[in-house]
Amino acid sequence: MKNIIRYALLFGLFFVLQVFVFNRLELGYGAQIFILPLYLMILPFETNVFVLMMIGFILGVSVDALSNTFGLTASSLVLFAFLRPIVFETFRPRDGYDPLKNPTASDMGLVWFLVVFGVLFSSTLLWFFILEVFRWGETLLVLRNFFLSLIASGLVISVSQFFFFNQRRKK
Amino acid sequence: MQNLFAFLRRFRVFIFFSALQFLCLVLYVQFVSFPKSVYLSTASTFNGKIQSVEGKLTNHFDLEENNTALRLENAQLRKRVFTNFYRIDRAKIQVNDTAYEQSFSYIPTKIINGSVLRRNNYFTIDIGKLQGIKKNMGVISPNGVVGIVFKVGDHFSLVKSVLTQDINLDVMIGVDGPRGILKWDGFHPKTGIVTGVSSDLNIKKNTRIYTLGASGIFPKGIKLGTVISKSRVEDQALWNLEVRFSEDYRTLHSAYVVHSLIRKELQALQLEIPEDPE
Repeated sequence: MKNIIRYALLFGLFFVLQVFVFNRLELGYGAQIFILPLYLMILPFETNVFVLMMIGFILGVSVDALSNTFGLTASSLVLFAFLRPIVFETFRPRDGYDPLKNPTASDMGLVWFLVVFGVLFSSTLLWFFILEVFRWGETLLVLRNFFLSLIASGLVISVSQFFFFNQRRKK
Repeated sequence: MQNLFAFLRRFRVFIFFSALQFLCLVLYVQFVSFPKSVYLSTASTFNGKIQSVEGKLTNHFDLEENNTALRLENAQLRKRVFTNFYRIDRAKIQVNDTAYEQSFSYIPTKIINGSVLRRNNYFTIDIGKLQGIKKNMGVISPNGVVGIVFKVGDHFSLVKSVLTQDINLDVMIGVDGPRGILKWDGFHPKTGIVTGVSSDLNIKKNTRIYTLGASGIFPKGIKLGTVISKSRVEDQALWNLEVRFSEDYRTLHSAYVVHSLIRKELQALQLEIPEDPE
């Protein structure tokens, strides 16, 4: 129960941060900070994939409604949720996942987190920009936006891992 | 039958995934193709309210710049007020001059939300159906053109800005110069591209770009930007002109909706152009 409240509060926090802070930041050259996938990433290991996809969809549609992106964010987050169990399975530690741990950098180690999240995040971001532009002639634009956003979002998310999801290690 | 169930069970995750993706597609299509559905866009009353609260909080950040822009515009407009003119031929200038018919009127509005980050950027303005806003009205700002009204809610409307994929505005290069079509390539919110200009025309750097007003949405001669460079289109005798917009869409807060009193007549007339005989 305590966990459900915690994740519900985080849902609100991610929503507000994305819509009112990061969607308003203009870094120039098409770089955007996209933090919503991090929310889907840190949900517990045993989360059902259907639940995960529904959460992604609802979060995405709510953000879309306030940013005039119509289904674009929702579609990318559903993709993230769909791929998450597959990628988790691929990078499973030898002894399987510890049910007491969460998929964060502090629980699973920085290397595991960066690799797994990196794979998932890159595919989501690429999907997002391809859908947004949706024209063959503008591949260069897709690639520029993709790489710059990957760097910008990656930095923000890595830093957040150090500051906000570090409580367990201190105990 | 059993096989079907086995198939469904096996691919249930993928089927659910496809269903949700399909739903996203439906959302997108209903946004783009049905102008009356304002749900899930910032033109809906609920979302608009949230945006205007946020706008009230963040409006003050660019207050100084906006005041300067408005002051400049006021000064420009003051120059055109009749009392500032010395009447040379007094008999001709009358208050109810029937020789001139007003063809455009302007409704001032505030921009409460907008983005410049996306490939297709929309702005939300704080007036809607109740103030007489209709789809396809033009929106201009003190320094340039904002875009075209795309969706109308009761209290808010959504403007498809110059910074979208298929905006294709009719422009002229220089006062009464050659015509072209303004597009945005998505790379930078300060620069756009004008295409369709024959390369035998000599176009100088810093030439100003104005609206052509061919479709009656905008008046003729609204400033849009200046040419900063030109390059030849491969295999075609055409220029690609890079244009720096005169309006900075990143700090845009006030605008005017253009109500064209002549647009219907213009469109009806242009429909009468005969098709090419086969």
